[in-house]
Amino acid sequence: MSSQHAKAARRFLDNNEQAQWHNRTLWMVREKRDRLAMQLPEWEELRNLASQIKMHSLSHLDYYLSRFAARAEANGALVHWAKDADEHNAIVLNILNEHKVKKLVKSKSMLTEECHLNPFLEARGIEVVESDLGERILQLMQAAPSHIVMPAIHLKRQEVGKLFEEKLHTEKDNSDPGYLTHAARLHLRNEFLTADAAMTGANFGVAETGEVVVCTNEGNADMGTSFPPLHIVSMGIEKVIPDHQALSVYTRLLARSATGQPATTYTSHYRKPRPGSGMHIVLVDNGRSRTLGNEEHLQTLKCIRCGACMNTCPVYRRSGGYAYTYFIPGPIGINLGMLRSPDRYSGNVAACSLCYSCNLVCPVRIDLADQIYRWRQQLDSLGKADRVKKIVSAGMNYLFMRPSVYNQGLRLAPSVNHLPRFMIYNPLNAWGIGREFPVFAKESFTRMWEKGKVKKPQNKDAYEQ
Amino acid sequence: MSSKDEILANIRQHIRQTYDLPGIRPRGICYPDKIAQFIEVSRSVGGEAILLQEGEDINQRIRTLYPEARTIASNLPGISVQTLNPDEVETPAQLNGTDLGIVRGEIGVAENGCVWIPQNVKEKALYFIPEYLLILLDKTKIVNNMHEAYAQLQTCAYDFGVFLSGPSKTADIEQALVVGAHGAKGLRVILV
Ligand code: SF4
Repeated sequence: MSSQHAKAARRFLDNNEQAQWHNRTLWMVREKRDRLAMQLPEWEELRNLASQIKMHSLSHLDYYLSRFAARAEANGALVHWAKDADEHNAIVLNILNEHKVKKLVKSKSMLTEECHLNPFLEARGIEVVESDLGERILQLMQAAPSHIVMPAIHLKRQEVGKLFEEKLHTEKDNSDPGYLTHAARLHLRNEFLTADAAMTGANFGVAETGEVVVCTNEGNADMGTSFPPLHIVSMGIEKVIPDHQALSVYTRLLARSATGQPATTYTSHYRKPRPGSGMHIVLVDNGRSRTLGNEEHLQTLKCIRCGACMNTCPVYRRSGGYAYTYFIPGPIGINLGMLRSPDRYSGNVAACSLCYSCNLVCPVRIDLADQIYRWRQQLDSLGKADRVKKIVSAGMNYLFMRPSVYNQGLRLAPSVNHLPRFMIYNPLNAWGIGREFPVFAKESFTRMWEKGKVKKPQNKDAYEQ
Repeated sequence: MSSKDEILANIRQHIRQTYDLPGIRPRGICYPDKIAQFIEVSRSVGGEAILLQEGEDINQRIRTLYPEARTIASNLPGISVQTLNPDEVETPAQLNGTDLGIVRGEIGVAENGCVWIPQNVKEKALYFIPEYLLILLDKTKIVNNMHEAYAQLQTCAYDFGVFLSGPSKTADIEQALVVGAHGAKGLRVILV
C-alpha cells in the first residue's frame, strides 16, 4: 500500500549518509530563516500584509495585468499573451527566429520548466544555456532540479567534480566547491559574452511602473541581459503586484524566507530595454486563470517561490525532490501538481504528515497543509484513493464509532507485545518497515481511569516532562 | 478573440470574491544608528562598508584598498585613479577584464546592506562584470528599511536599477558558500 512517493523515497533513503546530509542541510537553512525572521519585530505583520496584498492583486488581476502591460509597452517593451505552454513556446521561438538567435542564455525560471521550453527550443536548433550554477550543473547532467531555489541540493561535490572534469576539463579529482565554481564562472562568462539573446523569469511585475523585478544571488540574470541585443521575460500572470509599496513587502520576505539572507545580492528592476536592444515580456496563463475560480486552492497563486515550505517539510527533507512526480516538489508542489492534473500527480498527496510546518513558514501564508488535506478527502471521488488504505480506514471508522468494540480491542492489544516478530513485521504491514512497533501498555487509559489509577499531576512541570 | 482578450475574460469570469488592499502601510524596523547597522550588516552579507575619515583623500584610499587593480573603470568626477571611462566603450563586452569598477549609489538600506543604483553609466554591465566593485555612497542617504527605500524611488526616474547587497555568491555545490559566482568577487561601499 505504499504510494509512488514512498517507493521513490525508499530509493533516496538507500543512500543513508546522503539522505541524512540532505535532511540536516535543509534544516540548517530553515534555522537561518528563523534567525533572520526573528530579527524583525514586524515579521508576522509582514506575512499578513504579503498575503493580503496578493489576495487583492489576484482578485483584481484583470485590472493590474492590463495596467502592467500598458505601462510596460509605454516603457518600450513588447508584451505577448500566452494562454498555455504551447503558445508560450511558440511565441518565444518566433521572437528568437525573428532575431536569428542561435544561442540563448537563461537565468532560472520555474515557468519555463513548467512549459518544457528548453527541449522545445533545442529540438528546433537553438542552443540553450542555463546560467544559474545549479541549473547549469543539472543541464550538463541532463537532469531536473530537485528544489526550486537550490536546484542541485541532492548532489555531492564529487559528482559535480566528475561532471566538470568531463565537460569543462577541470583538474582530475578536484571537487573543491570554490575551484569548481570558479571554473563555471569562466565557462559561463564566455557564454554570456557570446549569446544572441537572454531570457529571465520574473519574481515580480509592478503594475504601477511596468517594470519586471528579478532576484538572484549569483548575478547571472544581470550578466545575461547586459550583452546581447534581446531580453525575453517569461512571466506567470500571477506575478503582478500593484506598486513599489507592495514590492517593499515582498523583497523583505523573499530572501529571508528562502535562504536566511536579509536580501538577495541582486534585486534588479528592468523598466526599459537597454538602448539599442529589445525587451519582450511573455505573460503566461497556463491554467492560472482557472485556479482563480477554485476557492479551495486559489491561495496557491500567492506563492513567491521561496522554497521555505520545502526546507521545513520533514517529508521533503527525508525523501528529496525526485521522490515527487511533479517538477515542483514539497508542499507547494503537491498542490500545484494536483491543480495541473490529479490523474497524474495524486501520488504526491501522500507525501505529507500534516504537521503544518509549511503553513507556519510560508511568507505569504498559503494554507498549504489544509489544501493537501482537502485533496486527500477528494481522492475517493477522483477514483484515486488507495484500496488498502480505504479498507483500513473503513475498519477504523467502524471501531471509532463503536466504543465497546474499540475498548475490547484495546484490552487485547498488549497481546501484540508477545507475538512473534514475523507476524508483525511482514510485507503486509507497510508501517512495520523501518519502524519498531510500540510496546502496548498493559492497561488502557480508560481502564486506569475507571479504576481510579489516574492521578492529577502535582504541578504544571509534570506535563512538560 | 486575441489571447490577451481571452485571458482577461477568463480572469474576470473566474474571480469569485474581491479583496481590498490592506488599510495599513507596512511598518519597518528602525535603528538608533543607521550607519553602524549598515556597516554591520554589510559584513554579514560578505561585503564591507567603510567610513571615509574627515579630510581623507579618496583616491589615496582606493589605491591602498586595491593595490593590484590595473584596469579601473569609473565615470565619477573626482576619481582620478580610473584608467577607463566606461561611457566611452563601444560595446559592453569591452568592459570584460575590468579589475575594479567604481560607481555611485543613491540609497543605502540599513536592514539588509542593499545599495540602490539607478543606471548611471552607459552600460549596466559595469555593475556586474568587474572583478571587484566599489560603491561610493553619501552616508546621509542611508534609510532604515526597504519601505523607506522604495518610498524614495517614487521620485527617481531610471531605465534600469538594482539593489545590490554584498558580492555575487552561490552555494549551489553542497551548500558551500562561494563568493564570486558571476559578478563581483568583492564588494565595498565607501561612505562619504
Ligand atoms: S508556498 Fe509559500 S513557502 Fe512554499 S515556495 Fe511558495 S511562498 Fe515559499
